[in-house]
Amino acid sequence: MRRGLNFVLAIAAGSLLLVACVSDGGGPPESANTSRGPIEVWLSTNPEEVAWGEQVVASWNSQHPDEQVTAQQIPAGKTSEEVIYSSIVAGNAPCVVLNTAPSAVPQFQQAGGLVALDTFPDGDSYVEARTGKEIADQYRSPDGRFYQIPWKVNPVMIFYNKKLFAEAGLDPENPPLATWDEFLQTSRTLVQKGVAPAAIWPAPSSEFFQSWFDYYPLSAARTQQQLVEDGKATFDSPDGLAVGQFWRTMYAEKLAPQEKYNGDSFKDGAAAMASAGPWAIPVYKDTIDWGVVPIPTEDGKPADQIYTFSDEKSLAIYYACEHRLTAWEFVKSATTEAADGELLELTGQMPMRQNLPEVYASYFATHPDYEQFADQAGRVVEVPNVQNSTEIWQTFRNAWTSAVVFDDEPIDKAFADAAARANELLAEE
Amino acid sequence: MSTPLPISSEGTPAQDLEVETPPRNRFRVFVLALGAVLFIFPFYYMVIGSFQAVADKSLSGILPHPGNMTVTNYQEINDAIDAPRALLNSSIFTIGVLLFTVLFGLLAGYALAVMHFRGRATVLSFVLLVLVIPFQLLQIPLYILIVRSYGLGDTYIGMILPFAINSTAVFIFRQYFLQLPRELFEAARIDGASELTTMLRVAIPLARPAILNAVLLTFIGPWNEFLWPFLVTKQQDMQPFAVALANYMNNVAGRATNPDGANMAGGVLLAIPPVVLFLIFQKHFTSANIGSGVKG
Amino acid sequence: MTLVRGAKSGSTIEGGLDVEKERWLGRQPIGLLFILPYVIFLIGIFVYPLVVQFVISFYDFFFAAPGADVDRPWVGLQNYADVLQDPTFQRSLFNVFVFMIINVPATVFLSLVLAYALNTKIRGLWFFRGAYYAPYVTASVAIVTVWLFMFGVTGIVNTVLGPLAPDPSWLINSYWAMPMIAIFVTWKQLGFFILLYLAALQNVPNEVYEAADVDGAGAVRKFRSVTVPGVRPATTLVIILATITGMNLFTEPYLLTNGGGPNGASVTPVFYMYQKGVEQGQAGYAAAIGMILLAITLLIALVQRRLLERD
Repeated sequence: MRRGLNFVLAIAAGSLLLVACVSDGGGPPESANTSRGPIEVWLSTNPEEVAWGEQVVASWNSQHPDEQVTAQQIPAGKTSEEVIYSSIVAGNAPCVVLNTAPSAVPQFQQAGGLVALDTFPDGDSYVEARTGKEIADQYRSPDGRFYQIPWKVNPVMIFYNKKLFAEAGLDPENPPLATWDEFLQTSRTLVQKGVAPAAIWPAPSSEFFQSWFDYYPLSAARTQQQLVEDGKATFDSPDGLAVGQFWRTMYAEKLAPQEKYNGDSFKDGAAAMASAGPWAIPVYKDTIDWGVVPIPTEDGKPADQIYTFSDEKSLAIYYACEHRLTAWEFVKSATTEAADGELLELTGQMPMRQNLPEVYASYFATHPDYEQFADQAGRVVEVPNVQNSTEIWQTFRNAWTSAVVFDDEPIDKAFADAAARANELLAEE
Repeated sequence: MSTPLPISSEGTPAQDLEVETPPRNRFRVFVLALGAVLFIFPFYYMVIGSFQAVADKSLSGILPHPGNMTVTNYQEINDAIDAPRALLNSSIFTIGVLLFTVLFGLLAGYALAVMHFRGRATVLSFVLLVLVIPFQLLQIPLYILIVRSYGLGDTYIGMILPFAINSTAVFIFRQYFLQLPRELFEAARIDGASELTTMLRVAIPLARPAILNAVLLTFIGPWNEFLWPFLVTKQQDMQPFAVALANYMNNVAGRATNPDGANMAGGVLLAIPPVVLFLIFQKHFTSANIGSGVKG
Repeated sequence: MTLVRGAKSGSTIEGGLDVEKERWLGRQPIGLLFILPYVIFLIGIFVYPLVVQFVISFYDFFFAAPGADVDRPWVGLQNYADVLQDPTFQRSLFNVFVFMIINVPATVFLSLVLAYALNTKIRGLWFFRGAYYAPYVTASVAIVTVWLFMFGVTGIVNTVLGPLAPDPSWLINSYWAMPMIAIFVTWKQLGFFILLYLAALQNVPNEVYEAADVDGAGAVRKFRSVTVPGVRPATTLVIILATITGMNLFTEPYLLTNGGGPNGASVTPVFYMYQKGVEQGQAGYAAAIGMILLAITLLIALVQRRLLERD
């Protein structure tokens, strides 16, 4: 027994030595900031984005034979953050990821994985000129620097199925969905008339990002505030509780199911409404005769005052990049007015460019579907750019599923406990 | 017969424990059949579901409806992923693991069972300890070691390494060699054979059933493994079948005409090779060489 | 002859010194060479990461890019204290115990009974064996899809049960979520344990059965008095392996209940460790969870072994 213990200790000691000796590698030298050369970029697997991305890459490659760009697809969704984070840690992250979630930026930045834009002389000014200072500032990190380029936004609005609405006896062109009471009543009508199993079917599961499609749009419409303001959580307030209570009613009256739907419930006709952004238009266009309205507010605010969740994705330049100047130039070329226009046409997602409806007036004239989203894109609320943001969202989501979805505890207590925990996390250095 | 000697290279046929009277046998068969049906029902349902044009969750959906049958789900998968390439990657990954396991696992199992050397008991405790550790605990440091320090990202070796030698297989080999009579090895040693020769000439030819069992059990791990190859490979043309399918099911299936059907089609495709392999080789599983007489 | 040559591999005895060395290294020191590749593998793949995790559990640690300059202060046992007081962690332990209470006895009982039943010559044995083994060889990722399809709110099980179906439905029900996972995993793993028992059954000598027959024992009695004691070592192994699987549960809750399940009803320690370490980047905290889990699992395994291997 003792001999065995010695053996184990010897191995452990040897391993500690191994741990100490395993090299760190070190990052690229300072000169990388002005270096040019071939780079790798990652796209999401969204087919329309891939089509756009390949076009942009091909066009760049034809003009820059010495700075070839190779594009790779990585799966979007929860797992993409893990893939990116692992590659940061492994030191083999690409130069640009055209699918960086703003909620992950604090974590990536803390891990030293991102390059600040003010490394480049026109870094900050470019972003502000393109997106507009007010909106762009939502994307600065707590230290005031930009670690991401706000790229495209999918403002969340309410899609509704015109055919199902008509079947339920509701006006398919002007459905009563502006106030909370109207929304609830409409939902009841839809379900009672049996046109669909659910009025609306947001995912009730406990992944940290699901709140972005049920709580957050309504909260944004009501208060224009982020989840965290001035270092404190905002959901433990009369406004936050009101939104929670609204959704509790939806779940209690079985207007929204408590179980996750496998697939797209709106597309399958299992739900008469959906909270989604313009990315969904290509998905629905062949199967559903859809209409869209802004997020409901309690008193029915006018549409041009309603804010919503942005569902934004950024571009970011990553630390392991050895030819950062090329990366920056590529990012700029992917966000010119022409490139943004291509993005709009191919994917329907809104580039984060000021005055969208005017800049692409001809496009919107021929695609009136998208115009409402373009208008909405100027009024979006982003996820807070704070330390521990993922954990804060998870804490909130746990409280949400427990109190709002399953009524296992009172909403005010659940939100209060979650806010206390969130504030603790925010107070950490 | 007391302890049957599993020397034959075919599995010993299942023993008749007693002379069964016909009614009892029939009852046993009936119970077995009932259980088997319950057990295999989800599989059957998965196959049916994978051929449905529109997901049918009703009771009648259990039976195939000619009007609702289609191969669209499979076609969509075929369009979305490069199946031959993914299957090739899975095969290389799995065969790599099998080679390492058989090669080094046999050596280790033989040594642990038959040879006496300092530290043997320690290594044995080690093996048992290792079985307790969940992979998720090792994941990130291992990832850093293999991808960052050794630069083995997007390589087959990088995929294979954490699974290279299957400890359960080592266990199986050891148990098997423990049961072989000592006299065989003593005789070989007396004849002056080196340990290596003894192992190669005496032990391994007898070990075929154990090797087969170990191969079949070890096959399952890398074939079905999703998380590690997913982390280690960024390039899609390096990803094994399990990863390609999982990606499809998580990201693309939602847009398919029948997402449930598409998911189940993916499941069927992934399940076919191990099940087929097992059915082909399953009679070899009956011989007494897995964990029998576990003496720790 | 034996005395001169000794039971050694190949080398000759050349003097007293070698005999000393030989006794120190063992009779077949070449065994060390045989085992070396495996040991190197174990150290590289298991020991090294474990040591890394052990070390970082004492820091406020997160993994960072190579070359990045980040601050990771020493926190001593703070992570461990936090984990032990963490209600989610405590709930996760409770959840795996619920799992094991259902899974371990069911596994032992069903796999032994089925192995016993399968240990005969009957027609179509290949089909039966295939049926029981098929779930084990299939990837969880694959088979979960049909399970969700069956047990969803509108799934076939609820259709059959009608008004008896629980509301909320199975996998989103905080009381049923973990038991459902237990049933799923039991079903899925049974093939492996049936194999273990099948092998062990070969070692139960026929004479004992024949003696029991002579005493006039019925089938059930024989099973209880001959079979069960006869496969005792295998039972120990089955219990320990099933326990370890239960403590390390991750994939099935992750796939069946999207992670934590309703109100954390199916969080498991490994899932929580994953969530903290990978999703939220708190590697030090996650490492502490892992160490505590490892300690608990080892303790349980050792206690079980002590209790069960009484001879």
